[in-house]
Amino acid sequence: MARVARGDHRAFELVYGGLAGPVYGVVRQVLRDPAQSEEVAQEVLLEVWRTASRFDPARGSAAAWALTIAHRRAVDRVRSECAGSRREQKAATGMVPDDDAAEVVAATLDHQRVRRCLDGLTELQRESIKLAYYGGYTYPQVAHLLGVALGTVKTRIRDGLIRMRDCMAVTW
Amino acid sequence: MVKIPADDWHVLSGSYALDALPDPERVEFERHLQHCPSCEAEVRGLRETAARLAMARALQPPLGMEQRVLAAAYRTRQLPPLPSDRLRAARDHRRAQVARRFAPRRIAAFAAAASVAAAVALGITQVSTQHRLESTQASNAAISQVVTAPDARIETTRTSAGGSVTVVASAALREAVVTGTGTPPAGRVYQVWVMSPSAARSAGLMAGPSTVLASAVVPGDRIGITVEPAGGTSKPTTTPVAVLPA
Repeated sequence: MARVARGDHRAFELVYGGLAGPVYGVVRQVLRDPAQSEEVAQEVLLEVWRTASRFDPARGSAAAWALTIAHRRAVDRVRSECAGSRREQKAATGMVPDDDAAEVVAATLDHQRVRRCLDGLTELQRESIKLAYYGGYTYPQVAHLLGVALGTVKTRIRDGLIRMRDCMAVTW
Repeated sequence: MVKIPADDWHVLSGSYALDALPDPERVEFERHLQHCPSCEAEVRGLRETAARLAMARALQPPLGMEQRVLAAAYRTRQLPPLPSDRLRAARDHRRAQVARRFAPRRIAAFAAAASVAAAVALGITQVSTQHRLESTQASNAAISQVVTAPDARIETTRTSAGGSVTVVASAALREAVVTGTGTPPAGRVYQVWVMSPSAARSAGLMAGPSTVLASAVVPGDRIGITVEPAGGTSKPTTTPVAVLPA
């Protein structure tokens, strides 16, 4: 990232190669609409280039930094008025579409690992995390969709994420 | 201003890390984070976890997106570092130079620069090229970056010496994680090589079951393991006990 911040094109191409798939994937997961997703993903990757000097490795990995920006942008798009009607239908049913298996880049180790760790959660933890992260819902919306108390959802999201963190930290 | 009872702050970290706090609470929580180091540390870890959720849904981006992004980027002026970042930027630059100076001459300057760029890009700042060549243990962070790369491929084989070797390689990162389970004979080590059609360069030593990170790996390279005298050698001196695609 230090080289990207100094305007090194080659370094940015490497960063692009590592991040474009996850950035596009998570944006698409939240927005669903391919055209909108591409637009947002491009904005995010451009933002990575533009603000590379502000990335601080002491505060986490570059991947987490970029994917935080990506998820935030996607969620902002959903929560603003310009959200597409297709997306609103989804909100009405409270459905988080599963990944389109054919489109997911191979069966990556990460995919398998995340799936296995998600399987280790309680159902309420798992559904809360999937609705919040993949669905882009706020925790009060998640509570409403699952028919549970606000405090319960907040606790389940945190407990579930901590369990995911510990599950994925175990060396393969 | 939203009133949040003191006990509830910590419980919000998960929702915050997933961008699931409604705006007023998010603003309050961000203010709280500034003087709550333990919350900040927790959020940092949970953000990394959220990133893994994102990586698990990686998709092939649409055709032409790379060209559009690169073209737009190179037309866009970058933000200057914040004043407090200047020292750090200088330090990173020095570190990259040091790493490059210690890279073996055999590695083309370009490949060395690219691997340093990839390492820095993905947060593997603590692993310099020098360290990587001398150490038999790759850092967990570096390993996890390769193992979690969207394009990671895995290959396992049994060695002719008894143990097994697993290679996880990412073409995008140009790195491969090599893990061996065997123990070499007394006074000997396993040496890991990145073998191109024309040369072999050392990626590290294994004195027992351990993991080595091979960098600047390009398509067509293979990973070979040989038994060598303790301390390793500059060139393979024995027939590899295992060879896998990198």
